[in-house]
Amino acid sequence: MGGVPTRSIVRTGLLGGVGAIYVALVGLYTKFADLELVGQQITLGRVLIVAPAFVAAFAVTRPRVVAGERQTVELRGGLGVGALSGLVGAGVFAAALWFADWFGVDRIREVFVAITEPLVDFLTFDKGVPAGLPILIALCVVGGVVGGFVRTAPVEIRRPASAGVLAVILFGLLQRIIPIVFVQLGFEADWLYDRGAGLTWFGALIVFAVAAAANSLWNRDGGRTRERVRRNVGQAPAAKVGLFVAILAIMTILPLLLGTAISEVLGSVMIYVLLGLGLNIVVGYAGLLDLGYVAFFAFGAYTTGLLTGAFLNTTTGAATPALSADLNFYVAVWIVALLAAGVGLLIGAPVLRLRGDYLAIVTLGLGEIVSVITASKWAQPLIGGPQGMRGVTKAEVFGLNFQDNPQHFYYLALAFVLLAAFVSWRLSTSRIGRAWNAMREDEQVADAMGISTTKFKLLAFALGGAIGSLGGALFAVSIGSLTPASFEITVSITALAVVILGGLGSIPGVLVGALVLIGLPGLLREFEEYRALIYGGALVAIMILRPQGLIPNVRRSRELEDEEVSQDAWAAKAAAESEAVAAVLPGGGLGVEREDLE
Amino acid sequence: MATATDEQVRGAELGLLERLPWRRIILVVLSIAILSVVAIGAFKTLTLPADERYSTTTWKDFIVLGLAQGAIIALIALGYTLVYGILRMINFAHGEVFMFGAFGAFFFSDAWEQSGFLNSNPILSMALLLVIAMLVSMGVAILLERIAYRPLRNAPRLVPLITAIGASLFLQNTARGFFGAQSRGFGVPEVLDGTWTILGVEVDRIQVVVLVTVIVAVTALSLFVSKTTTGKSMRAVAADSEIASLMGIRVDRVIVTTFAIGGLLAGIAAVLFSITFESVSFTMGFRPGIAAFTAAVLGGIGSISGAALGGVLLGLLQSVGPALILTGYGIPSSFQLKDAFTFLVLVLVLIFRPGGLLGSSEAEKV
Repeated sequence: MGGVPTRSIVRTGLLGGVGAIYVALVGLYTKFADLELVGQQITLGRVLIVAPAFVAAFAVTRPRVVAGERQTVELRGGLGVGALSGLVGAGVFAAALWFADWFGVDRIREVFVAITEPLVDFLTFDKGVPAGLPILIALCVVGGVVGGFVRTAPVEIRRPASAGVLAVILFGLLQRIIPIVFVQLGFEADWLYDRGAGLTWFGALIVFAVAAAANSLWNRDGGRTRERVRRNVGQAPAAKVGLFVAILAIMTILPLLLGTAISEVLGSVMIYVLLGLGLNIVVGYAGLLDLGYVAFFAFGAYTTGLLTGAFLNTTTGAATPALSADLNFYVAVWIVALLAAGVGLLIGAPVLRLRGDYLAIVTLGLGEIVSVITASKWAQPLIGGPQGMRGVTKAEVFGLNFQDNPQHFYYLALAFVLLAAFVSWRLSTSRIGRAWNAMREDEQVADAMGISTTKFKLLAFALGGAIGSLGGALFAVSIGSLTPASFEITVSITALAVVILGGLGSIPGVLVGALVLIGLPGLLREFEEYRALIYGGALVAIMILRPQGLIPNVRRSRELEDEEVSQDAWAAKAAAESEAVAAVLPGGGLGVEREDLE
Repeated sequence: MATATDEQVRGAELGLLERLPWRRIILVVLSIAILSVVAIGAFKTLTLPADERYSTTTWKDFIVLGLAQGAIIALIALGYTLVYGILRMINFAHGEVFMFGAFGAFFFSDAWEQSGFLNSNPILSMALLLVIAMLVSMGVAILLERIAYRPLRNAPRLVPLITAIGASLFLQNTARGFFGAQSRGFGVPEVLDGTWTILGVEVDRIQVVVLVTVIVAVTALSLFVSKTTTGKSMRAVAADSEIASLMGIRVDRVIVTTFAIGGLLAGIAAVLFSITFESVSFTMGFRPGIAAFTAAVLGGIGSISGAALGGVLLGLLQSVGPALILTGYGIPSSFQLKDAFTFLVLVLVLIFRPGGLLGSSEAEKV
């Protein structure tokens, strides 16, 4: 049908249905049922009802390679195929729902805790099981049609349309920031957002129109404008500086616009930017996969506590740690960084000979040793063990209080981030950066070319450790009390996800990665519970669909274009495939699969 | 003239310093330090005053417990080793495969405990639980391979590892969403409470069941790998997948089989683990997973007997080690550091003998 094999349509449709069932089982519908995006009708939960059908239809209408020729699907065929795959998926989903109702929701809940009466009500639009199912099926078919449309419509329609819809969803998700920004800037926000809820219908229309118009302007004359702007920004140093200054200016005024609650989220984003920048040196530049990065974070936090006169929590009150000093934070933090660099050397030295996955596992082990010891009673006299420490310095200076005022803290964090970013940037373009690069691509060749891999590996570990410890030091200042629960493996994995989502070796990428992975869940409390699920899914999806990350490192992308290095040739192939077909969706799409018509 | 000589002397010294095998010196110093810490600790523990000392029975309990836990670790470790042998990749999510098996068994054992089936037919119900857990784990392992790993077959080495970490996180939190965040008590047939006396030693019945099951499973696996055609093709793919595919072996199918077998073994381990600790939770896969990976590396990754040996050694080390070595230093609650022990062993093995105990020390492998 429409140039797509029927078997493929049915299979993808079925997968869409299974996807919807998964979303139901894992509890996402229940969680997001009431998160309004537009008006009271469009909630994130309802978007998630349509999403599996949309994704399935989008995937199944992809161009295929038939007998060596790339064939795209026509619009009419695309809509039909989308509708059909949506229908198949909806059938599966509806059947599962019917089964659940017949079998007894309470009996299923003994195994799957998310299956509840409210969930069934939500999915059947409060009409009960047989009566509400046609609505569900119709919605999924619409989702399928839209998916087919987004893939097969003429480019000048589908691009603005997708941009508009994405903008509406994004504005809906950012419902707790944008109204505040508007009010702070002196505008009315009531026409755009319902109070304490999502966009108004009128607001959604405006957002859609503006985004669509902007997109078609950007892509006019077949993308030549876009290319010209890109080239200019890419080549002219003035444009680069301008862009940097603009980003910096936005980052500087952001907390003033957003108030304390959101500044707190931004503060934790900044801590992860710092961790990401440090880890980026180790993983992105030097190519050493470090899964124990939490060790430096913990080291930085606890050492800052010890050096600035924090005390231990005990059952009887407070006690002085076995080792303690009472230094000014701005003196202590450099000592911490220096010590952490030493720890980096210490960790790096014995594992130098290990490569790739073994190195990753050893660092994971070292990180876990740190976590286990931090939480053990043995560590009690020094760092408080399970009870932890409190009373870390507030690092007050010029009347700024970095512990109780998140806006002030943000600026402290920003200062450290800028420092780390500057160091990373200078390093990446220096001789050292090129040595790391060479080492990452092929260690033996780099060695043969006279690069001392020992030296540069140790340097990467030391620098990465120092920057990571700064993240820990800031964390300690921001929350004031330290408990082992903050220093678990999740920190390492989150930092890794930030670096990988943004793009290995890319400094702006770290910022974007942290904003997406830390900022978004922080703004929507509903996401909190699913944070780790999303991180895990994101890691898998990025590695499969877009291994170079959201904002690829420039030098790496050049390598990717050259296809000189076999390691990157694979990434280039994957990138080319996903980008050729899926330019519509930022963040890649579902790559082409070689599949001959049967 | 004097300065020139000085320079010459300094040059000579520098040359000597640079020529010294620093790495080896550091390693030797490190190993001497570790050995003396262990020896002194053990000596101190064993010479504690009689009232503070562990009794012989306690040591025997530690050993039996270590053997039983080591046996479970060994089963999980086989899953790592099989996959590593064939794909040269660390299936980081294997601990989660194990966890899903445990949940699969849990829901049935829970229902059967309430209906009384668990206690009226203990042998049949345990056998069924094993089968259920094996099937669930196998299903998860196959899905994992199909969705997360197959698209990355020819990717650079770190890419599948990062994917595996992501998959591990994803599966763990899927279980949390599916089954809830709290841990649940796992019912054990009453027959298995209490002890049996074997060769004059009182042993928990559960530990006997664990050890016997593991011995049967490992024997079955080694027979399978050495005698059957599928086992032969697995070995062929492990040796050289390209040549194997030229010889008419369907590499993809062999890989799926390998994941399936790893899943089956993880399912068995899951039931044994659950009846030993009597609880299941969505985080239960992580630490045993890492321990099992350590065991696989300790024994020599890629080698089946190595994984079994490594598992048992690690189990013993985990249960005896903290008590034997750390108690002597007066470290409180030394068992809390059990996992630190695991990781320390992992790090040391990789530093000193990356090939593992039974593996050849191929530098290329690491």
